[in-house]
Amino acid sequence: MPAARSTAARASWFARWRERALREAPNDVGPIVLRHSRIYLLPTRRGWAIIGTLAMMLVGSLNYSLALGLGVTFVLAGLVAATQLHAFRNLAGLTVAPLAAGEAFAGGTLAFTLALHAGTAARHDISVASATARAGGNVEAGTVLTTTLEVPVPRRGRVALGRVTLSSAFPLGLWRAWSYVHFPLAGLVFPAAEMNPPPLPAGEGGHDGLTRGASDETDLVGLRTFQRGDPPQRVAWKAVARGAGWFSKEFDATGGGGTVTLAWERLPAALPVEARLARLTAWTLAAERAARRFALRLPGTSLPAAQGREQRIAALTALALYPAQPDAPPARKASRRVSRGRNAP
Amino acid sequence: MLARRSRWAGRTAPSTRTLGTRELRWLGVLLVAAQLPQAPHLPIWVAVAGLALVLVRVAILRTDPWRPQAPPARIPSWTLAVFAIAAAIAVRQTFGYFVGRDPSVAFLYILVAIKYLETRTARDATLLVCLACFLLMTPFFYSQSLVAALAALPAVVLIGVALDVLAHAQSIATRTFQPGVALRRSAVLMLQGLPLAFLLFVFFPRLAQPLWGLPTDWIARSGLSDSMSPGQISELSLSDEVAFRVEFDGAVPSARDRYWRGPVFARFDGRTWSGMPFGVPDRSTPSDGAIVSYTVTLEPNERRSLFALELPAAPPVLQSGSASGRDVKAIITRDRQVLLSTPVTQALRYTQRSHLAASYPAASPNEGRLLLGLGEGNPRTIAFARALRREVPDDHAFIAAILSKFRDENFVYTLTPPFYDRDPVDLFVFEERRGFCEHYASAFALMLRAAGIPARVVTGYQGGATNRDYMIVRQSDAHAWTEALLDGRWTRFDPTAAVAPSRVEIGLGGALRAGEPLPFLARLDGTWLTRVQLAWDAFNYDWRRNVIGFNRERQRTLWNDWKLDPYAPWQIVLLVAGLAGTWAALVVGGLMWKRRKQERALVLWDGLNRRLARAGLPRHPYEGPIAFAHRAAARWPQFAIAFTAIGESFAALRYGDVPAPREREALLATLKRAIEVLPPPGTLRGAS
Repeated sequence: MPAARSTAARASWFARWRERALREAPNDVGPIVLRHSRIYLLPTRRGWAIIGTLAMMLVGSLNYSLALGLGVTFVLAGLVAATQLHAFRNLAGLTVAPLAAGEAFAGGTLAFTLALHAGTAARHDISVASATARAGGNVEAGTVLTTTLEVPVPRRGRVALGRVTLSSAFPLGLWRAWSYVHFPLAGLVFPAAEMNPPPLPAGEGGHDGLTRGASDETDLVGLRTFQRGDPPQRVAWKAVARGAGWFSKEFDATGGGGTVTLAWERLPAALPVEARLARLTAWTLAAERAARRFALRLPGTSLPAAQGREQRIAALTALALYPAQPDAPPARKASRRVSRGRNAP
Repeated sequence: MLARRSRWAGRTAPSTRTLGTRELRWLGVLLVAAQLPQAPHLPIWVAVAGLALVLVRVAILRTDPWRPQAPPARIPSWTLAVFAIAAAIAVRQTFGYFVGRDPSVAFLYILVAIKYLETRTARDATLLVCLACFLLMTPFFYSQSLVAALAALPAVVLIGVALDVLAHAQSIATRTFQPGVALRRSAVLMLQGLPLAFLLFVFFPRLAQPLWGLPTDWIARSGLSDSMSPGQISELSLSDEVAFRVEFDGAVPSARDRYWRGPVFARFDGRTWSGMPFGVPDRSTPSDGAIVSYTVTLEPNERRSLFALELPAAPPVLQSGSASGRDVKAIITRDRQVLLSTPVTQALRYTQRSHLAASYPAASPNEGRLLLGLGEGNPRTIAFARALRREVPDDHAFIAAILSKFRDENFVYTLTPPFYDRDPVDLFVFEERRGFCEHYASAFALMLRAAGIPARVVTGYQGGATNRDYMIVRQSDAHAWTEALLDGRWTRFDPTAAVAPSRVEIGLGGALRAGEPLPFLARLDGTWLTRVQLAWDAFNYDWRRNVIGFNRERQRTLWNDWKLDPYAPWQIVLLVAGLAGTWAALVVGGLMWKRRKQERALVLWDGLNRRLARAGLPRHPYEGPIAFAHRAAARWPQFAIAFTAIGESFAALRYGDVPAPREREALLATLKRAIEVLPPPGTLRGAS
């Protein structure tokens, strides 16, 4: 039993060490100042090449008793070592703060914003990289650089930024200094809207622009540029005839249009889950564009009818977080990672 | 998976990135700077071809105005092999062999240039920088003078600049490249690295023996050789090169006693004197004559002979070994030569004791029997000596007669003797009568042998010039004299002194007639130029002693001087690591201190923020100085004036128009005083 406990203790010690070294869990809260315990330094490939060359020069000079050969080797070695100190100094004292995580539709890019505070020293060539995105630049002394990581998001769900590597090969590209920071920063990725979705379902009460026909002049609010897919009865033929260009008539649906219910169970039964979500997303956006009240019903979730920006975000969030299917691993993995991080003692 | 991808994302551009014109141009500058110190030591065509190839590439790098986006011009890769093979063949033709130091250096020199012609990617650039590092080292095979050391420095700085240009091209930040900034940065990095370089130079352990053999073509330097034929020493005498330097422990012996004994030649073939193939060690110690003790620093000469005042009393105490470093021993041979077991390939220091004696007892009475060979030819000289011997049977009187012949007849001491083709001694004694020391010594020894007196030729140096606290012996002091076996003792005779006594008294400059070509420094007039030359030599001597000659033994001596010898190697390693750590702390600390000085206002502000955060009022990241000061003033109304002053002065310093220096100082003083007014965080936390 004690043996088992000590094994467990060792394992936990190892886990703690690993966590400290690699920052695999999002435990960094608030601004992080990069100090020596976080900064790693290793030669770059070019650095290794130079160090190897210097080693060969050292052996050659020793063998031939070339005092000046040793001298030039050591002067170059001193230069390489000074470069290492500068590389360290370039990162040391830099402050990184998480600013914001954005929103995106699947297939687009999700923006995560970080702020780099230079402090009293100028920072050169700071690269900020997550697993799939990279940004960075110089930070002048006393200034803040706001960098945005545009992370490509192929699937819906909650997507964590994950561990971010701050690195720099300044000044001569011989040493790479880097640090890991892992903020619990996560953004929402909504499902991608279906291309060319069917028209919105009929409203309850009131009227619908499509079903009522284009003759009802009372509700006409204006014209907008014709887009492919607009029904022919909405085309402003008079304008076309005048040669003014192609326009579609827009109708104010609020007055007459009733609440639309976007319901999961009313979709064709053959439709797979992600396709349903894509259609519901497209309808949500269409309802918002048409400024209509809508309600959303998903298995396990139900949004009462409402209208406006909050309603759209609530609906998209519900769609994004709908229990994912096994064919969407990254989103699920990311969300689990976040929850594990939060539950950690 | 995630970690690997993130590492990929953090990497700088791949090594196959195509180089831009600017990078290639700076690489060209670096290569030229690395080639120039090597060029004087190469055959002329190699030196010119290597430089020309680099310059050709730099010249064609000009961007085509019609196609600005086109990649920089270069030769196709396959031609690299063609060029390299052609260069290898040409080098082989020039040197006559390929495996050796000189052809290898020449080949490396030209290969770097060919590689530069073909260079395209970042990986090629890395290779070129590494090759340039190697090129920096090769000139030291040929010369380790201060000039050679200084010549390497520009290239060291340019290595930094080239790396900076390459790093700049891969950088994520968009900033314009400024050559001035890069040069300064590289120079600063080099200067900051110098203390560490010094530490390594002093403490890095040297090899006791080489890991692999030294190249066979290790250059043969000028100096006395293993044989003596007419004209050899007079040629040497035109050289100002230093043979060795001497520090005497006591009084300096007078010039006429300073015969530095070197190779001894006993065999004569009618033209050339040569030595015995091996030296027989001899332990007997002749014990007459005043003892002098001195330390010689011998320039490397690739020979085994050491030089000692006549007569060496005991084998020398070696202070620093030769380059080959194996267990080097010095012996005294039966003919009183000091011989080293290996050739002297680096500056060698040894302490020697000598008796100032012009004669010494022969090792055995039979020794003389082998030393009567007359060689071929020279019949007139031999006949003359035999005839004279019949008239003068006494050895001493016979020798005096020959010396007086040299003195009284019209013999001329000259550095430019005619070339004696056949029977050189006959031609010299009976026809031309113009000769240098080797002619006199050779003729004199031959005449003695013809008369049945065993004799041999001794070569070495005679004299030397005092400079500060040491003496310089140059190649122009090279000399040859004779030893004859009289009454069981080898006795020195210098026939040159009979012709030109001042040669021995005051040196070559006093002995030659006006108008003779003379090595510059052998002339006697003490012009300021000579003084400058001597000061320069003194400096070179120190350089030689403390930098070039800093080998394993000198390192040990230094450690002893510093009382480091009782410590184990690991303790010394620890000490060096500690010193290196101190250096690193000083460099990093220096960087911080410098920046702090530049940003004093910011430092004061940061300090205040930390104090207020401890007092329970952290500044919000979005909060500006004035807003934060307002909040602090509201929290601690009794310090409202101080906070307002702090906020306004910091905002003015940081975000206002650039103030005049005096105004700036005033603002800083206000900021500082206002911050000093505030109590420590603990008190502040309690106050309300």
